[in-house]
Amino acid sequence: MLAIENLTKHYGSIAALQGVSLSLERGEFFGLLGPNGAGKTTLMSLVAGIRPADSGEIRLNGAPFDHRRVEQRRQLGFVPQAFALYDELSGEENMRLFGRLYGLRGALLRDRVEEGLLAAQLQERRRDKVSTYSGGMKRRLNIVAAILHRPPLLLCDEPTAGVDPQSRNAIFEFVQRLNADGMTIVYSTHYMEEATRLCSRIGIIDHGKLLALGTLDELLLQLPFAEQIRIARNEETAPHLPAFARLGELVTMEDAFVLTPRADTRLSDLFGLAEKIGLANRHFQMTRPSLESVFLHLTGKTLRDA
Amino acid sequence: MRTILILIGNELRRFANHKTGLALTFLVPMVLIYIFGSVFGVGRTGGGGPTGILLAIVSQTDAPVSAAITDALRKEKAFKVITTQKDAAGIEQPLTEAEVREMMRAATLRFALIFPTDTQSDQLFGLKMKFLNNPRNEIETQTVTGLLQKTIYSSAPQALLTGLQKRGADYIGKENFDRFNHSISEAIAQAFGGKAEDISKDMKNGVVTFGQPANGSFFDSLIKIESEQVGGGQVKNPMATRSVGGWATMFLLFSLTAASTSLFEEKKAGIYQRLLSAPVDRTHILWSKYLSFVLIGLVQLTTLFVAGRFLFGIDITTNFGNLLLICLAAATACVAFGMFLAAISPTSAVATGLGTFLILTMSAVGGAWFPRSFMPEFMQHLSPFTIVYWAMEGFVQVLWANCTTRELLPTLAVLFGIAAVVNTISVWRFKRGNIFE
Repeated sequence: MLAIENLTKHYGSIAALQGVSLSLERGEFFGLLGPNGAGKTTLMSLVAGIRPADSGEIRLNGAPFDHRRVEQRRQLGFVPQAFALYDELSGEENMRLFGRLYGLRGALLRDRVEEGLLAAQLQERRRDKVSTYSGGMKRRLNIVAAILHRPPLLLCDEPTAGVDPQSRNAIFEFVQRLNADGMTIVYSTHYMEEATRLCSRIGIIDHGKLLALGTLDELLLQLPFAEQIRIARNEETAPHLPAFARLGELVTMEDAFVLTPRADTRLSDLFGLAEKIGLANRHFQMTRPSLESVFLHLTGKTLRDA
Repeated sequence: MRTILILIGNELRRFANHKTGLALTFLVPMVLIYIFGSVFGVGRTGGGGPTGILLAIVSQTDAPVSAAITDALRKEKAFKVITTQKDAAGIEQPLTEAEVREMMRAATLRFALIFPTDTQSDQLFGLKMKFLNNPRNEIETQTVTGLLQKTIYSSAPQALLTGLQKRGADYIGKENFDRFNHSISEAIAQAFGGKAEDISKDMKNGVVTFGQPANGSFFDSLIKIESEQVGGGQVKNPMATRSVGGWATMFLLFSLTAASTSLFEEKKAGIYQRLLSAPVDRTHILWSKYLSFVLIGLVQLTTLFVAGRFLFGIDITTNFGNLLLICLAAATACVAFGMFLAAISPTSAVATGLGTFLILTMSAVGGAWFPRSFMPEFMQHLSPFTIVYWAMEGFVQVLWANCTTRELLPTLAVLFGIAAVVNTISVWRFKRGNIFE
């Protein structure tokens, strides 16, 4: 469906993308995971044809992608990170406008707008100006406005940025439905929970480089450890962190410290230490590594710190 | 109080960090103060008042008074006197009344003084002149009329008496006339003092002190200046008709510049990302913006003139087709200016600030606020480089002079030319700039 070969893009002296290559099969739900400024939006905008690459090639359905070719543009739908809607127009007017730009007209346009409003649960507010919509409503409209022409490939650039959990769930369900109906989706995010929940394959990107690519299991297999120990973050454990740090790599998270044991560290070493300093077992929890661990392993920092 | 001080500090810090705002806060008033100051003569050599107003003088008489007054008018800095023009062979020929009238009709001249054949006749002691004017600008016309009267009334008595002396000498013979002058001089010297020889010399040269120069009631009966309006006579509401063009253009520039800065808002909203991912390219976006703003400008101007028709009786129907043409040309140039600002400015705030500064300066220098002739000459030379000047020219040509489309063509060509050049630069800048990034 989509093949990207050695894509490079610079903004002045800043290398936004450095030789990124990947390929997507039809019907895939591909996640692009990385922190802010990693190059996700740049990659999306190059694939969407918004700006040209410095070098490299993008192939769509086997043919070189040329943003001047209207029929190739119609193969794509793009959900920008910003709302990208006209605030002064109603939701319905926005949809009609974007539908017409993709060549829809007459009954087909009317039907697609109706379907979009229904999918975005905006029938009641269809004639209200977008400026009066909530963040969640705008996000939903932002997505449906990109799929009016039923593109086989949908690019979603952080489509849940700044929305409440309820709206986020609604968006998840919506894009999952689109994917289930056969739409290939590229979904960029800096939330590992979203990538884990939605994506069949994930690419981890940082500083313009694609660091890893694969299914969640494949990515986890790249880790040199199978387990991690979460140590509760509280007044009792805090004074003993230097001692635990001697057993492996210790990372401070929001609500816990995560210890990735060295290859030669045994669990008995950990619990022996805990017993020696008088810490109860309730402070410790064995966990399976996550995407966060993969990112940490690949970059030496957490997604939040990046 | 502490909270207020903290917030004041914050406001001042934000103001200081806003470079454009900071620059404009001082730059705009300084430039406008300079322009106003120049108009009212502050710091100008020779004081304020108009300079370089073109005044044609046609002399159909050989009376010396004609040459004397022409000389006096040449010395008046307000006027740039012309008395000749080149013929087809390139030889300077004295202007004729017909030529002057044609120049006034073609709006290349607004004021002319004619000395008719009977400027000074044997039957009547006094002067007769004809003042032709095209009062496209009321303030300028009143000022010119006043200056003409002052100059003529100051120089005419001497010229009149010199003429009178000559005619007296011709009539009774030079010897008798000298004897007569000598007797009068002796009598004056005896009665009022002074040297009889000096008094006689002054009388010969027409030098007479009346105590107050140009005593209106006395000279009004001696100097007859017949005033004739050439052009604009049919205008129903001269004051409104004269000023509407300048103000309309200024407001058009403000509104269309503001509209052009919507490019920044749409960029911020991410609209261009969606549009450019659709079958839409940068050229589509720019041309749709440009043409829609031209349309809005055209509607705005037309609405303004229709309102002027109902509120002030401005006649827009007589030359409506040409009015639409000049509205279109003005809107095209104004939108090009707005797009240019958006193209060269990094942010909306810079574009708005720069726009305010340039629009106010262009309006002042272009002549929307006061007659160009009131400005220093270098500013007058800058006027034709402004959109306001040419738009005003066009509106006056249509509404005041009732010009035909053919006569309007040069002005239309300038406005469309400005639009084409400025727009080409803008499109080039937009395509290479970061507005779509």
